[in-house]
Amino acid sequence: MIEIGWLVLALPLVAAAAGFALHRRARRGAAIVAVGALGLSTALSAVLAAGVLGQPERVVESAFTIARFGELRVQAGVRLDGLAVVVVVAVCVVALLVQLYSIAYLHDDNGYPCYAAEVSLFTGAMLIVVLAADLVMLVVGWEIMGICSYLLIGHYRDLPESRPAAVKAFLVTRVGDVGFLLGVLLLGVAAGTFGIGAVLANAGALPSATVTVACLLLLLGVAGKSAQFPLHTWLPDAMVGPTPISALIHAATMVAAGVYVVARLFPLFRVGPLPLAALGVLAAITMLLGALVALAQDDLKRVLAWSTVSQIAYMTGGLAVGVPAAAVFHLLAHAAFKALLFLAAGCVLHATGQSLMSRLGGLRQAMPLVFVTMTCGLAALAGLPPFAGFFSKEAVLGAAYETARGHGEGTPWVGWLVLVAGLLTVALTAAYATRLWLRTFFGAAREDTTPKQVSSLMLGSLVVLAVPTVVLGAIGLRSRWLAGWLDAPGVALRPEAVTTALSTVLGIAAIAAVVLAWRRAPDRDPIRPRPLLARAFYLDDVQDLLVVGPYRRFAAEIADYDTRVIDGAVEGYGTGAAVLSRRLSRLQTGNVQTYATVVLGAAVVLAVAAVLL
Amino acid sequence: MSQLQSVDYAALAPLLVVSLAALGVLVADLFLPLARRGLAVWLALSAALAALTTIVAVGPGERGTFCTPPASLPGGVRVGPSCSYVVDHFTVLLGVVFCLAAVVVLLLSMPRLAQDRLPAGEYAFLVLCSLAGMLTLAGARDLITIVVALEVLTLPLYVLVGLRRADSRSAEAAVKFFLISVLSSAVTLYGASLLYGLTGSLHLDRVAAALGGRDELRDLPLTGAAVLLVLVGFAFKVSAVPFHWWAPDTYQGAPIPVAAFLSTASKAAGVAGLLLVLGVGFRPYADVWGPALAVLAALTMTVGNLVALRQRHIVRLLAWSSVAQAGYILLPLGIAAGSTGRSDAALRTAGAASLTYLTLYVAMNLGTFACVAWVGHRAPHTVSRGDSAALQSYRGLFRRSPLVAVTLAFFLLCLAGLPPGFAGLFAKVVVFRSALVGNARVLALIMAVNTVIGLYYYLKVTADLFAAPAAHRASSQGEADQLARRPVPAAAYPLAAAIGLSAIATVVLGFAPQVVVRLGELAWMR
Amino acid sequence: MTGVSVGQVLLVAVLVVPTLGAAALALLPERLDRAARLLGVIVSGLTLLISIGLLSGRSAGEDRDWVYVNAGWVPAVDLRFHLGVDGISLPLVVLTALLTFLCAVYSLHSVPAPGRAGTMLALVGVLEVGMIGTFLARDLLLFFLFFEIVLIPMYFLIAVWGGPGARHAATKFVLYTLLGSVLLLVGILTIYAGAGTLDMVELAERGGGAGIAPSTQTFAFAMVFGGLAVKSPLWPLHTWLPDAHTEAPTIGSVLLAGVLLKMGTYGIIRVGLSILPAGAQRLAPTMAVLAVTGIIVGVLCCYAQTDLKRLIAYSSVGHMGFVLLGVSTLTAAGVQAALLGNIAHGVITGLLFFCVGGLKDRFHTSVLADLGGGIGARLPRLGGVLTFAAIASLGLPGLAGFWGEAFAVAAAYRPAGGLARTPYVMLAVVAAVGAALAAAYFLRMLRMVVAGPASGTPRTSGGSGDSGGRPSVADVTLLEGLSWAPLAVLALVLGVFPALVLECSRPAVDLLVRVHSG
Repeated sequence: MIEIGWLVLALPLVAAAAGFALHRRARRGAAIVAVGALGLSTALSAVLAAGVLGQPERVVESAFTIARFGELRVQAGVRLDGLAVVVVVAVCVVALLVQLYSIAYLHDDNGYPCYAAEVSLFTGAMLIVVLAADLVMLVVGWEIMGICSYLLIGHYRDLPESRPAAVKAFLVTRVGDVGFLLGVLLLGVAAGTFGIGAVLANAGALPSATVTVACLLLLLGVAGKSAQFPLHTWLPDAMVGPTPISALIHAATMVAAGVYVVARLFPLFRVGPLPLAALGVLAAITMLLGALVALAQDDLKRVLAWSTVSQIAYMTGGLAVGVPAAAVFHLLAHAAFKALLFLAAGCVLHATGQSLMSRLGGLRQAMPLVFVTMTCGLAALAGLPPFAGFFSKEAVLGAAYETARGHGEGTPWVGWLVLVAGLLTVALTAAYATRLWLRTFFGAAREDTTPKQVSSLMLGSLVVLAVPTVVLGAIGLRSRWLAGWLDAPGVALRPEAVTTALSTVLGIAAIAAVVLAWRRAPDRDPIRPRPLLARAFYLDDVQDLLVVGPYRRFAAEIADYDTRVIDGAVEGYGTGAAVLSRRLSRLQTGNVQTYATVVLGAAVVLAVAAVLL
Repeated sequence: MSQLQSVDYAALAPLLVVSLAALGVLVADLFLPLARRGLAVWLALSAALAALTTIVAVGPGERGTFCTPPASLPGGVRVGPSCSYVVDHFTVLLGVVFCLAAVVVLLLSMPRLAQDRLPAGEYAFLVLCSLAGMLTLAGARDLITIVVALEVLTLPLYVLVGLRRADSRSAEAAVKFFLISVLSSAVTLYGASLLYGLTGSLHLDRVAAALGGRDELRDLPLTGAAVLLVLVGFAFKVSAVPFHWWAPDTYQGAPIPVAAFLSTASKAAGVAGLLLVLGVGFRPYADVWGPALAVLAALTMTVGNLVALRQRHIVRLLAWSSVAQAGYILLPLGIAAGSTGRSDAALRTAGAASLTYLTLYVAMNLGTFACVAWVGHRAPHTVSRGDSAALQSYRGLFRRSPLVAVTLAFFLLCLAGLPPGFAGLFAKVVVFRSALVGNARVLALIMAVNTVIGLYYYLKVTADLFAAPAAHRASSQGEADQLARRPVPAAAYPLAAAIGLSAIATVVLGFAPQVVVRLGELAWMR
Repeated sequence: MTGVSVGQVLLVAVLVVPTLGAAALALLPERLDRAARLLGVIVSGLTLLISIGLLSGRSAGEDRDWVYVNAGWVPAVDLRFHLGVDGISLPLVVLTALLTFLCAVYSLHSVPAPGRAGTMLALVGVLEVGMIGTFLARDLLLFFLFFEIVLIPMYFLIAVWGGPGARHAATKFVLYTLLGSVLLLVGILTIYAGAGTLDMVELAERGGGAGIAPSTQTFAFAMVFGGLAVKSPLWPLHTWLPDAHTEAPTIGSVLLAGVLLKMGTYGIIRVGLSILPAGAQRLAPTMAVLAVTGIIVGVLCCYAQTDLKRLIAYSSVGHMGFVLLGVSTLTAAGVQAALLGNIAHGVITGLLFFCVGGLKDRFHTSVLADLGGGIGARLPRLGGVLTFAAIASLGLPGLAGFWGEAFAVAAAYRPAGGLARTPYVMLAVVAAVGAALAAAYFLRMLRMVVAGPASGTPRTSGGSGDSGGRPSVADVTLLEGLSWAPLAVLALVLGVFPALVLECSRPAVDLLVRVHSG
C-alpha cells in the first residue's frame, strides 16, 4: 500500500525530471512522458484510495531521515489516511485532464515540452504536500508549487504583463510562506520533531500559546497560497498564464493546498480558539470580497478567478466553524466544477481568441457542447441542486449554522459570521454566474468573432469533468461515505433544512433579478460594473502604495547608504592615509637646521618626560 | 695591571683580522696599478669572510677580556669582575650579521666602483673600518667602548656617503648625515657622563647593579633623564622617528651599496647598542625606558609607513620602509611599558624578537637593495641614472629581466611580511608574539594597522614589476628585447652573486627561522 | 606516530600535489598554453581524487581527526606542522578541490585576457594549497600561514586577469583581508600567550578555553572573529566583496565566493567556538545581530543593484549572514546549519558566477540593463541554468540553499544555554523575512535577464564585432556544461539529501559544541 503511495508521488517528479532533460523540439515525447506518468499515478491513486478506504485502521506511514540538525530530525516520508487519498485522487484526475487538454491547447507553442514538465513538477509538488509525513517535507512541496506557478504563469514570455504577474504570484505567496516556514519550525522545535503524526499526537501536550502562535503563522501561509484576503491579489493577475494552468492552480493544486493543510493539521487548530476565529473572519471578508468583485469583471477568466477567491473562502469558512469534512467536501466539488469552468473558458478563448464578455455572446449555437458543460459548471458554482456545488456549499452553511447555535466545537459568533457571509455570497455568486452565462452564450452572436473548431481532446476533458460536477454531491449523502472516509463520522454532510431553504431562495432571487435585468436590454451588461468593484476595491493600488513602492525606495536608499557611507568609510581610510602621508612628508624639508632642531627638541622632550613621569 | 696581560686574543681575533685587512688594503691601494685597483675590494671581501669564519670558529664561549676586578661602587654596591669586551651569543650573532652584510655590500659595490670611477682602495678600506667598529660594538660591554665603537663605525660612513664627489647631492647627504650624527652622539655622551657621575661606573653590569641597588638614585630626576638621553645616539642609528630625518636624504644621495650598508649593518649596530644598553645596563629602569621605546616604536613605524606611501623614488621608498621596519624592530622592547612586559621572561622573548626581526630584515633588505643595484646597473643607457631609480622605470621589469623581477618581488613581499615571503612573515609573527606575551595589545594593534599600510606600497611596486611597461615609454618593449639580447656584462656577476646570496639566506631563514630565533633567545639577558 | 599510514600520505599529498603542479605550471613556457591548461586539469583532478580519498579510514561516528600528521617545524615559536581531517574539514576540502578542478576545466574553455593560462593556473594551484591547508591545519599558527598564502595569488588573479577597475578592487581586497588576518594573528597569539600552546586539538580538548581568563578570551575572540568576519564577510566589513567580484575573472569569482569566504566562517567555528567558549558566549549576540543586519542589508542592496556580478556578491553577504547566524547560536543545530550553508553557498554561488561568466563572455557586459533580457529565448540552456541557479540561491526548499538558512533560523529559536532567548527569536523572524525577500531580487534579475522576447538585443559595451540578439552567439558549450553540471547536480542532491554532508560533520560538531551545551 505504502509503496503505491511512494509511486504516486514519485511518478510525476520523475516525469518532470525527464521532461526537463528532453530536447526542446521533442513535443511528442514530452506529451507521452507527462501524460503517461500522470495517467499511471492517477490509476495508482485510485487503487490507493480503494485500498486505504477499504481498511478500518487507515493511517499508514513510512519515512526515512534525510537530515539531522542537532537533535532536530527531518524525514522524507509518506503518510496515508482517508483525507490524503481522497485529495490525491482529485489532484491526479484534474492534473491528468489538464495535461491532456494542454496537448491540444498549446498545440503550436514550441515551449510545450518545458511547460509539460513544469506541470508534472507542479502536480508532483502538490502530491508531496498532500502525502508528506513530515512538516518540512510539506514545506518543500509547498514552495516548489510556488516556483512552478511562477514559471507557468510566466509561460507566455512575449506577453509583457505575464512576467510581472508571475513575479507577483510568487512573491505574494512567498510573503505568506515566511509565516508558514516559521510556524513549521516553531512546531518542530517545540515538539522536537517534524513528523506530522508525532506533532498531531502530542498537540495537546505542547504549550497552547506556542501552538496558537504557530497556527496563526501557518494561516499566513494558507492565506497566501489559498488567495485569502489580504494576500489574494496575485490570483486574478495569474490569469495571464495559459488557461489550463489556471484550471490546475484553481482546482487541484495551489489554492487547494492551503485548505488541505489546515484540514490535515486540524488537531493543532483545535487547541486554541484564536486561529479558527481569525480564519473565520478572513473567510467572511474574502467570500464577499471575491463575489462582489467577480460581479464587476468583464474578463471571463477574471470572473472565474474572483469566484475562486470567494469559493475558497467557503472552504476556509467550513474549517473555521470546525468542520474540516465540509471544507474538504467543497474542495472536491469545487475542484470538479472550477476545473470544468476554466477548461470551458479556455475553449471559448481558444475558439474566439477573446475572453472579454463584452466582446462575446450568442455562443450557444456555435459551441453547444461547451455551452452545456459550462452551464453545469455555473449551476454547480451557483449552488443549484442537484449539482455538486449545492451539496458541498450546503454542508458548509449547515456546519456554520450548527456552530452558530452552539452545537459542535466552533465558536458561535464565528459560526454566525460565516453563515451570514455565506448566505449573502450565495446570492452574489448566483448573480455573477448568471451574468457570465447570459453574456457569453446568449444574446446576439458577434460576427467579428467567428469561433473556430475546438479539438475533441479539449471537449472530451470537459465532458469527463462534467460528470463529477453533476453527481459528486452524492458522496456527501451517506455518512459511511465521505464523512466516513475522512474519519468524521459524527458530522452530517447532508443539506440543513433551514440554511438550504434560505440559500436556495436567495440564489433563485438573485438569478431572477439578473435575468430580468438582462431581458430589459439583452445587449447591455445586466449589472453596471462599479469602478470600485471593477478595481477590486483598489487593494492592488493599496498594496503598491504601502508595500512595493516603499520597498523599492528603501532598497535604493540602503544600497546608496552602503556604497556612500560604509564603503565610503573604507575608501576614506585610504584617502585619509594619503592625506596624512602628504602632511608628514612636508616635514621632510631637506633643511638640515630643522632636522637638528627637531632632534635636539626630541632629546629634551625625552629628558623632561623622564623627569616628570 | 695583571688583567692587561691576560688579553684574550681569540676573542679579539675577528676584530684584528678586519683591522689588519683594512690597513693592508690601504697600503695595497698605494702600490696597485690603477687598472688593478679593483683587487682591493676582493681583498676586503676575503677579509670579511675571514672574520666571519673566525667568529664562527671562536664561537660563543663565555670569553671576556679587558676585565676589571671586583670592586665596591660609591653607595656601597659590591660588584664582581666585569669585562669591557665579551664574546657570547649576542656577539656572535651580530658579528655574523655584520660580516655578511659587509660581504654583500662589497659585492654590490664592485660594478658601481668601476662605473663611477670611485677610488676602490679607499672604499674598501672605509667599509672594513666601519665593519671593525661594528664588530667592536657587538662585543663591547661598557659605555665608553660602545660609544667609541659607534663613532668608529660611523666615521667611515660619512666619507662613503660623500664618495661621489662629482655629485652635489652626495656631498649634501654626507653633510646632513654628519651633522645629525654628531649631534646625537653628543647627546648620548652627555647622558653617559651623567650616568658615570651617578653610578661611578661605565661597565654596563655595574651600572645595572648601581641603578638596581641604590634606591636614592631613583629619587634623583636626573637618573631617568640620563638613561633616556643615552638612547638618542642609538635611536639616530636605527633611524627611529624623530631621529630619522637624515635617513631618506642620505640614502638617496649615497651610492646604492652604501645606502644598503646604512639601512642594514649600521642600523643593526644601532639596535645592538640599544639592546646592550637597555637590556644589560638599564634593566632596572625598564619602567623608564619602556614607555619611551613604546612611543618611539609606534611613531617610527607609523610615520615611516605613511610617508613611504607617496614615494616615487625606489631608494627613498626603501629608506622610509627601513624607517618603518626599525619601528617593528623596536616594538618588542616597548612591551617594557607594561608591568607584565617587564618580567624577565617577557623581556627575553622581546630581545629575541628584536634580534630575529633584525637578522631577517637585514637579509631581506640587502636582497632588495641588491636588486635595485642590478636595475640601476642594467638601466643607465636606457634612462639616466637619476631616473633609473624612479619607480615608473620598474614598471614591466618582468619583461626585461624576469628573474630579477621575481626575486625583487619576493624580497618586497618579505618586507611586507606576506607569503611567499615567509622570512618576513615569521619575523612579524615573532614580534607580535613577544608583544602579546608582554600583554602589549595596543602596540600589537598599532603594528597590525601598520602592516596593512606597509603592504600597500610594497605591493604597488611588486604589481608594477609585472604590469605592462609605462605607456609614455613606448619604445620600452623594443628596449626590453634589446636588453634581453644583450649579454650580461662580467661586471654584473658580483651583483648576481649578491642577489643570490641574500635570496638563499632569506629563503632558508624563511623556512627555518628556528636558528635565528634560538640564537636570539640565547643572545640576550640569559 | 609509528609508521606512516596511507591516510597520512594522502593528507600531505593533497597539499603537495597542487604545490608541485603550481610550480610546474609556473615554469611552463608561455607558448605551451594548451599543455598548461591540460596539466592544470590533471593536477586539480588528481587533487580532487586525493581529497575524496581522505574519506577512507573514517569510522562511523568518528568525532575526532581520523587522520593526522603532526611534526615539529619551528619549535622556537611553538609552530608545528599539524594537519588533520575530521567531519567538519572534509566537506570543505572536497568542495575546494572540486571547485578548483571545475575552474581548471572551465579555463580549457576560456582564459580571460591577457591569457597566460599557465601562470593563472599556477596561481590557482597556490590558492588551492592555501585554502585546503586552512581547512586541514590543526596548529593555530599553521592555520594562519595557510590563511595568508591565499592573499597574494588572489590579488594577482584579480589584478591581472580582471576587468578595467581590477587593480583598485584587488588592492582593496588584499589590504582589507590582510587587516583581517593580522587581527586574526593577534587573536591567535593572545590565545598562545594565555594557554602556552598553539595546538588546536589540545586547546579544544582542554575545554573551557584552556584556562584562559574570560576577559582575555573575549579580547582574543574579538580579534579572531573580527579578523575572520572580514573574510566571511560579515556586515559592515563586506564592502570589498562587491568590488572584488565585479572586477574578478570568472574563476576568480567562483573561488572567491565558493571557498575563500568559507575560510572565514570555518575559522570562526574552529578557533572561536571551540577554543574560546567564554569569548564566544560573550560576543555571540553581537555576531547574531550583525549577521541578521547583513542578511537584510544584503537583500535590500541586491534589489537595487544594476550589475549582475555585484548583485550576486551582495547576495553572498546575505547568505553568509545566515551562516553566521547559525554559528552565533552556539548550538549543534546552528553549527550544522552553518556548515551545510557554507557548502551549499559554495556550490550554488559558484554555479551562478559560472553562468554570469558565460554571459559576460558572450555579451561582454554584466550590467542588467545592457544584457537586454530574452536570454531564455535566445540561449535556452544558459537561461535555464541561470534560472535554476537563481532559484537554488533564493533558498527554494528541495535545493541545497534551503537547509542552511531554514535551520539557522530554527536554531535561533533555541540558542545555547548561556544566551538570551528572546532577542534570538526576534532575529530569527527578521532573518526569515530576509530569506523570503531574497526571492524579490532574484526574480527581478531573472525578469531583466532571462525573461522577455528574443528580440531584446544587448547593447554590447565590449567592442565585439557582432551585436546583441544575434543567432551567432552559441548556447552552453560542452566544456562549460562539463564544468557547470557537477554543481547543478550537487545543488539538487544536497537539496534532496542534505544528510550527505550533515552526517559527515555531525559527530565532530557535537564534540565541538559540547563546551557550550554544558
